[in-house]
Amino acid sequence: MTATSPTQAPSTAETAINNIKGTEEPEVADKGAETETETDADEFEDNGIIDHTTFDQLLEMDDEEDHEFSRSLVWNYFEQAEKTFEDMNNAMEKLDFPDLSRLGHFLKGSSAALGLTKVKESCEKLQHYGNRKDAAGVNNITNEEAETLISALLVQMRREYNEAESYLKVFYDGQE
Amino acid sequence: MSVDSIHGHALRLDSPLQLDQRKIKVMIVDDNSINLSILSRMLEKHFTDIVQLTVFMTSGVEALQRLATEEFDLILMDIDMPVLTGVQTTVAIRQNTSECPVLEHNQNVPIIAVTTSDGAEQRALYQQVGMSDCVSKPIVLSKLRSAIEGAMKGIKRVLCE
Repeated sequence: MTATSPTQAPSTAETAINNIKGTEEPEVADKGAETETETDADEFEDNGIIDHTTFDQLLEMDDEEDHEFSRSLVWNYFEQAEKTFEDMNNAMEKLDFPDLSRLGHFLKGSSAALGLTKVKESCEKLQHYGNRKDAAGVNNITNEEAETLISALLVQMRREYNEAESYLKVFYDGQE
Repeated sequence: MSVDSIHGHALRLDSPLQLDQRKIKVMIVDDNSINLSILSRMLEKHFTDIVQLTVFMTSGVEALQRLATEEFDLILMDIDMPVLTGVQTTVAIRQNTSECPVLEHNQNVPIIAVTTSDGAEQRALYQQVGMSDCVSKPIVLSKLRSAIEGAMKGIKRVLCE
């Protein structure tokens, strides 16, 4: 996937969408579409899903021999994320941009706290697009551009979240 | 200058040395339960030498209500919250108006911003409204400790003058 330079606004919304979607990965908007192939958590490591500095700091706060604190936190995050995605979809149907921006910021905080790098970055973009700004939060964009960008971004964000969720579930399954 | 004359009411301290030994009461304000859990766990695990008690508020409104009736030594404040932002809440604390009163002790309580909104302009704003420091999310333990110790040293300095 070609990354859009953070300093350059896309010349057209279509270009931005193509940059976001890429060409080689299938879209996964629905959780039910994810594959069930068991994969070692380590295989995800180079994909930038998890910031291990942050996640390891979280694990260090667990009691010895027991990951109950971090596990419950992560599962709470899953619940929070699912609810937030639902709210995002509702807000998108109404084209409620301020609400989309707020929801993006909200999920950005907890995603960052757990070290979920890609989800956090997409949440930040949503925050900006909802404010009718470009991905870097600098230049203005139109409502139509925001709608198109957000529509594609929600698909991407869901895919990134599914990836992170799979990684974390494999990680904690391996701790039992 | 005595402690009483600075604060206008009696504190249970006779000397700055006792402030070193007395543990502090902290309020955490954040509308995101995940962030609240992480920060409270950090304090519980890594700050037992400093923190006696932690109280959690999920909004600026709740925080102001609590600050009207209970004294705190430190506030860790999220910035982007609905209804009242962390900046607005801090302004209300510092202004301590009759419409939005807090206990006199709390009017100058150290407030540390804990936020992903941590650019240079935003940090300048936090300082302008009376926050003592800003810790970025995700929180790095050493930076949180440095911010808390710096904020508490600022209080000690005032008490010693």
